[in-house]
Amino acid sequence: MSGIAVLIVDDSSVMRKIVERALRQAGLNLTKVVEAGSGREGLNALGRERVDLIVSDINMPNMDGLEFLRQIQAQSLGGGAPVVMITTESGEEHVREALAAGAQGYIRKPFTPDQVRDRVLPLLVPA
Amino acid sequence: MAAFSGTVKEADRFEEYLDRAVSEVFSVMMGVDCVVAENGAAGERENISAVVGLAGAMSGSLVLHSGRRAAMRMSELMTGSAPDGLDATVRDAVGEVCNMVAGAWKGFDAVMCAGCLLSTPTVVAGCSYELFSQRAPVRIERSYRFEDLTLTMTIFCEPSA
Repeated sequence: MSGIAVLIVDDSSVMRKIVERALRQAGLNLTKVVEAGSGREGLNALGRERVDLIVSDINMPNMDGLEFLRQIQAQSLGGGAPVVMITTESGEEHVREALAAGAQGYIRKPFTPDQVRDRVLPLLVPA
Repeated sequence: MAAFSGTVKEADRFEEYLDRAVSEVFSVMMGVDCVVAENGAAGERENISAVVGLAGAMSGSLVLHSGRRAAMRMSELMTGSAPDGLDATVRDAVGEVCNMVAGAWKGFDAVMCAGCLLSTPTVVAGCSYELFSQRAPVRIERSYRFEDLTLTMTIFCEPSA
Protein backbone atom coordinates (compact mmCIF):
# COMPACT_ATOMS: atom_id res chain seq x y z
CA MET A 1 0.00 0.00 0.00
CA SER A 2 1.39 3.44 -0.90
CA GLY A 3 2.08 6.10 1.70
CA ILE A 4 -0.81 7.28 3.86
CA ALA A 5 -1.24 10.64 5.57
CA VAL A 6 -3.39 10.35 8.69
CA LEU A 7 -5.01 12.84 11.03
CA ILE A 8 -5.43 11.49 14.58
CA VAL A 9 -7.78 13.49 16.81
CA ASP A 10 -7.81 12.67 20.52
CA ASP A 11 -7.38 14.81 23.63
CA SER A 12 -5.00 12.19 25.02
CA SER A 13 -1.49 12.36 23.57
CA VAL A 14 -0.86 8.84 24.86
CA MET A 15 -3.86 7.56 22.93
CA ARG A 16 -2.75 9.37 19.78
CA LYS A 17 0.58 7.53 20.00
CA ILE A 18 -1.16 4.21 20.61
CA VAL A 19 -3.43 4.74 17.60
CA GLU A 20 -0.44 5.64 15.43
CA ARG A 21 1.37 2.50 16.57
CA ALA A 22 -1.71 0.36 15.91
CA LEU A 23 -2.05 1.80 12.38
CA ARG A 24 1.60 0.98 11.67
CA GLN A 25 1.13 -2.53 13.12
CA ALA A 26 -1.89 -2.88 10.83
CA GLY A 27 0.49 -2.53 7.92
CA LEU A 28 -0.12 1.07 6.95
CA ASN A 29 2.84 2.96 5.53
CA LEU A 30 2.28 6.25 7.36
CA THR A 31 4.19 8.99 5.57
CA LYS A 32 2.61 11.80 7.57
CA VAL A 33 0.93 11.83 10.98
CA VAL A 34 -0.98 14.97 11.92
CA GLU A 35 -2.15 15.16 15.54
CA ALA A 36 -4.98 17.23 17.01
CA GLY A 37 -6.19 17.45 20.60
CA SER A 38 -9.82 18.38 19.89
CA GLY A 39 -12.35 18.54 17.09
CA ARG A 40 -11.62 22.23 16.68
CA GLU A 41 -7.89 21.55 16.25
CA GLY A 42 -8.81 18.75 13.85
CA LEU A 43 -10.81 21.14 11.67
CA ASN A 44 -7.90 23.59 11.65
CA ALA A 45 -5.57 20.78 10.61
CA LEU A 46 -7.86 19.76 7.75
CA GLY A 47 -7.81 23.35 6.56
CA ARG A 48 -4.08 23.19 5.94
CA GLU A 49 -3.20 19.49 5.48
CA ARG A 50 -4.27 16.88 2.95
CA VAL A 51 -4.88 13.52 4.60
CA ASP A 52 -5.99 10.08 3.40
CA LEU A 53 -7.48 8.88 6.69
CA ILE A 54 -9.00 10.52 9.76
CA VAL A 55 -9.17 8.73 13.13
CA SER A 56 -11.06 10.49 15.90
CA ASP A 57 -12.15 10.06 19.50
CA ILE A 58 -15.67 11.17 20.50
CA ASN A 59 -15.39 12.51 24.08
CA MET A 60 -13.14 15.56 23.81
CA PRO A 61 -13.20 19.11 25.14
CA ASN A 62 -13.44 22.03 22.68
CA MET A 63 -15.64 20.23 20.13
CA ASP A 64 -16.36 16.54 20.48
CA GLY A 65 -15.90 13.95 17.77
CA LEU A 66 -19.50 13.94 16.57
CA GLU A 67 -19.55 17.70 16.04
CA PHE A 68 -16.15 17.37 14.35
CA LEU A 69 -17.72 14.90 11.91
CA ARG A 70 -20.67 17.19 11.24
CA GLN A 71 -18.38 20.14 10.60
CA ILE A 72 -16.26 18.10 8.17
CA GLN A 73 -19.43 17.44 6.18
CA ALA A 74 -20.79 20.99 6.50
CA GLN A 75 -17.50 22.60 5.46
CA SER A 76 -16.62 19.94 2.87
CA LEU A 77 -13.26 19.33 4.52
CA GLY A 78 -11.08 16.25 4.38
CA GLY A 79 -11.28 15.63 0.65
CA GLY A 80 -13.40 12.52 1.14
CA ALA A 81 -10.90 10.82 3.45
CA PRO A 82 -12.60 8.05 5.43
CA VAL A 83 -13.24 8.76 9.12
CA VAL A 84 -12.94 6.06 11.77
CA MET A 85 -14.05 6.70 15.34
CA ILE A 86 -12.02 5.08 18.15
CA THR A 87 -13.82 5.67 21.42
CA THR A 88 -14.96 4.29 24.76
CA GLU A 89 -18.57 5.04 23.79
CA SER A 90 -19.83 1.75 22.38
CA GLY A 91 -23.62 1.96 22.60
CA GLU A 92 -25.63 1.32 19.45
CA GLU A 93 -26.98 4.84 19.71
CA HIS A 94 -23.47 6.28 19.59
CA VAL A 95 -22.50 4.08 16.66
CA ARG A 96 -25.62 5.05 14.70
CA GLU A 97 -25.04 8.72 15.46
CA ALA A 98 -21.42 8.55 14.32
CA LEU A 99 -22.28 6.71 11.11
CA ALA A 100 -25.09 9.17 10.39
CA ALA A 101 -22.67 12.05 10.90
CA GLY A 102 -20.30 10.62 8.30
CA ALA A 103 -18.04 8.07 10.02
CA GLN A 104 -17.20 4.99 7.96
CA GLY A 105 -15.85 2.90 10.81
CA TYR A 106 -16.17 2.52 14.58
CA ILE A 107 -13.73 0.90 17.01
CA ARG A 108 -14.28 0.58 20.74
CA LYS A 109 -11.48 1.21 23.24
CA PRO A 110 -9.72 -0.91 24.40
CA PHE A 111 -8.78 -2.19 20.95
CA THR A 112 -6.31 -4.60 19.43
CA PRO A 113 -4.13 -3.91 16.37
CA ASP A 114 -6.10 -6.65 14.58
CA GLN A 115 -9.35 -4.74 15.12
CA VAL A 116 -7.74 -1.61 13.71
CA ARG A 117 -6.48 -3.54 10.68
CA ASP A 118 -9.87 -5.18 10.04
CA ARG A 119 -11.82 -1.92 10.24
CA VAL A 120 -9.38 0.50 8.61
CA LEU A 121 -7.72 -1.36 5.73
CA PRO A 122 -10.95 -2.03 3.78
CA LEU A 123 -11.64 1.71 3.78
CA LEU A 124 -8.32 2.45 2.10
CA VAL A 125 -8.43 -0.10 -0.69
CA PRO A 126 -9.30 1.60 -3.99
CA ALA A 127 -12.69 0.52 -5.39
CA MET B 1 -32.62 8.12 27.19
CA ALA B 2 -33.33 4.88 29.05
CA ALA B 3 -33.32 4.95 32.84
CA PHE B 4 -31.45 2.43 34.91
CA SER B 5 -33.82 0.60 37.26
CA GLY B 6 -31.28 -1.08 39.51
CA THR B 7 -30.91 -0.95 43.30
CA VAL B 8 -28.06 -1.17 45.75
CA LYS B 9 -28.28 -4.94 45.27
CA GLU B 10 -26.90 -4.36 41.81
CA ALA B 11 -23.52 -3.76 43.44
CA ASP B 12 -22.53 -7.40 43.02
CA ARG B 13 -23.15 -7.22 39.30
CA PHE B 14 -21.30 -3.92 39.05
CA GLU B 15 -18.34 -5.48 40.88
CA GLU B 16 -18.22 -8.32 38.40
CA TYR B 17 -18.39 -5.86 35.50
CA LEU B 18 -15.58 -3.83 37.06
CA ASP B 19 -13.34 -6.89 37.43
CA ARG B 20 -13.95 -7.81 33.79
CA ALA B 21 -13.41 -4.25 32.59
CA VAL B 22 -10.10 -3.86 34.43
CA SER B 23 -8.89 -7.23 33.18
CA GLU B 24 -9.85 -6.39 29.59
CA VAL B 25 -8.18 -2.98 29.55
CA PHE B 26 -4.91 -4.24 31.04
CA SER B 27 -4.83 -7.31 28.83
CA VAL B 28 -5.66 -5.55 25.55
CA MET B 29 -3.88 -2.23 26.00
CA MET B 30 -0.90 -3.28 28.16
CA GLY B 31 -0.49 -6.99 27.54
CA VAL B 32 -0.50 -7.93 31.23
CA ASP B 33 -2.86 -9.77 33.55
CA CYS B 34 -4.61 -7.67 36.15
CA VAL B 35 -6.50 -9.56 38.84
CA VAL B 36 -8.33 -8.81 42.05
CA ALA B 37 -5.93 -8.22 44.96
CA GLU B 38 -7.58 -10.02 47.83
CA ASN B 39 -5.44 -8.25 50.42
CA GLY B 40 -6.10 -4.77 49.09
CA ALA B 41 -3.71 -2.34 47.48
CA ALA B 42 -0.29 -1.59 48.91
CA GLY B 43 0.03 2.06 49.89
CA GLU B 44 2.64 4.43 48.53
CA ARG B 45 3.37 7.96 49.72
CA GLU B 46 3.22 9.54 46.28
CA ASN B 47 0.10 8.74 44.39
CA ILE B 48 -2.18 9.76 41.58
CA SER B 49 -5.91 9.50 40.95
CA ALA B 50 -8.09 9.78 37.86
CA VAL B 51 -11.82 10.50 37.93
CA VAL B 52 -14.36 9.91 35.15
CA GLY B 53 -17.89 11.21 35.68
CA LEU B 54 -21.03 9.23 34.84
CA ALA B 55 -24.24 10.94 33.82
CA GLY B 56 -27.61 9.92 32.43
CA ALA B 57 -28.98 6.47 33.25
CA MET B 58 -26.34 6.29 35.97
CA SER B 59 -24.86 9.29 37.74
CA GLY B 60 -21.70 9.28 39.80
CA SER B 61 -18.03 8.73 39.16
CA LEU B 62 -15.41 6.08 38.65
CA VAL B 63 -12.06 6.69 40.33
CA LEU B 64 -8.69 5.05 39.71
CA HIS B 65 -6.15 5.44 42.50
CA SER B 66 -2.59 4.20 42.26
CA GLY B 67 0.86 4.73 43.62
CA ARG B 68 3.76 6.29 41.74
CA ARG B 69 5.32 3.03 40.58
CA ALA B 70 2.06 1.56 39.32
CA ALA B 71 1.19 4.76 37.46
CA MET B 72 4.61 4.93 35.82
CA ARG B 73 4.45 1.26 34.85
CA MET B 74 0.98 1.67 33.29
CA SER B 75 2.33 4.56 31.25
CA GLU B 76 5.37 2.55 30.17
CA LEU B 77 3.26 -0.43 29.13
CA MET B 78 0.97 1.79 27.07
CA THR B 79 3.57 3.99 25.39
CA GLY B 80 6.63 1.74 25.27
CA SER B 81 8.74 4.42 26.99
CA ALA B 82 9.78 4.43 30.64
CA PRO B 83 8.92 7.79 32.26
CA ASP B 84 11.27 9.63 34.62
CA GLY B 85 8.54 10.60 37.05
CA LEU B 86 4.86 11.46 37.38
CA ASP B 87 4.97 13.67 34.30
CA ALA B 88 2.24 14.78 31.88
CA THR B 89 2.44 11.53 29.92
CA VAL B 90 1.89 9.45 33.06
CA ARG B 91 -1.06 11.61 34.08
CA ASP B 92 -2.51 11.28 30.59
CA ALA B 93 -2.01 7.50 30.59
CA VAL B 94 -3.66 7.05 34.00
CA GLY B 95 -6.60 9.17 32.86
CA GLU B 96 -7.00 7.07 29.74
CA VAL B 97 -6.89 3.82 31.71
CA CYS B 98 -9.67 5.15 33.95
CA ASN B 99 -11.62 6.28 30.89
CA MET B 100 -11.34 2.91 29.17
CA VAL B 101 -12.28 1.00 32.32
CA ALA B 102 -15.34 3.23 32.72
CA GLY B 103 -16.32 2.65 29.09
CA ALA B 104 -15.82 -1.10 29.28
CA TRP B 105 -17.63 -1.26 32.63
CA LYS B 106 -20.78 0.44 31.40
CA GLY B 107 -20.55 -1.49 28.13
CA PHE B 108 -21.38 -4.72 29.94
CA ASP B 109 -24.87 -3.44 30.73
CA ALA B 110 -27.21 -2.68 27.82
CA VAL B 111 -29.11 0.07 29.64
CA MET B 112 -25.99 1.84 30.90
CA CYS B 113 -24.28 1.36 27.55
CA ALA B 114 -27.07 3.22 25.76
CA GLY B 115 -28.01 5.75 28.38
CA CYS B 116 -24.95 6.61 30.46
CA LEU B 117 -22.44 9.19 29.27
CA LEU B 118 -18.83 9.58 30.39
CA SER B 119 -16.93 12.76 31.10
CA THR B 120 -13.37 13.30 30.00
CA PRO B 121 -10.99 12.19 32.79
CA THR B 122 -9.68 14.51 35.50
CA VAL B 123 -6.36 13.57 37.09
CA VAL B 124 -5.29 14.53 40.61
CA ALA B 125 -1.67 14.16 41.75
CA GLY B 126 -0.96 13.77 45.47
CA CYS B 127 -3.01 12.37 48.30
CA SER B 128 -4.20 15.40 50.26
CA TYR B 129 -7.77 15.39 49.05
CA GLU B 130 -11.12 13.80 49.82
CA LEU B 131 -13.72 12.93 47.25
CA PHE B 132 -17.35 13.49 48.22
CA SER B 133 -20.34 12.30 46.27
CA GLN B 134 -23.52 13.39 48.03
CA ARG B 135 -25.93 11.36 45.94
CA ALA B 136 -24.22 8.03 45.65
CA PRO B 137 -25.96 5.19 47.50
CA VAL B 138 -23.80 2.62 45.74
CA ARG B 139 -20.09 2.56 46.52
CA ILE B 140 -17.87 -0.19 45.15
CA GLU B 141 -14.16 -0.37 45.91
CA ARG B 142 -11.92 -3.04 44.42
CA SER B 143 -8.16 -3.45 44.49
CA TYR B 144 -6.23 -5.05 41.65
CA ARG B 145 -2.76 -6.40 41.09
CA PHE B 146 -0.66 -6.41 37.92
CA GLU B 147 2.93 -7.61 37.92
CA ASP B 148 3.96 -6.72 41.51
CA LEU B 149 1.97 -3.49 41.59
CA THR B 150 -1.49 -2.56 42.80
CA LEU B 151 -4.21 -0.03 42.14
CA THR B 152 -7.71 0.63 43.43
CA MET B 153 -10.88 1.37 41.48
CA THR B 154 -13.85 2.96 43.22
CA ILE B 155 -17.31 3.55 41.78
CA PHE B 156 -19.69 6.00 43.42
CA CYS B 157 -23.04 5.82 41.66
CA GLU B 158 -26.74 6.32 41.82
CA PRO B 159 -29.02 4.70 39.28
CA SER B 160 -31.47 7.28 37.92
CA ALA B 161 -35.07 6.81 39.05
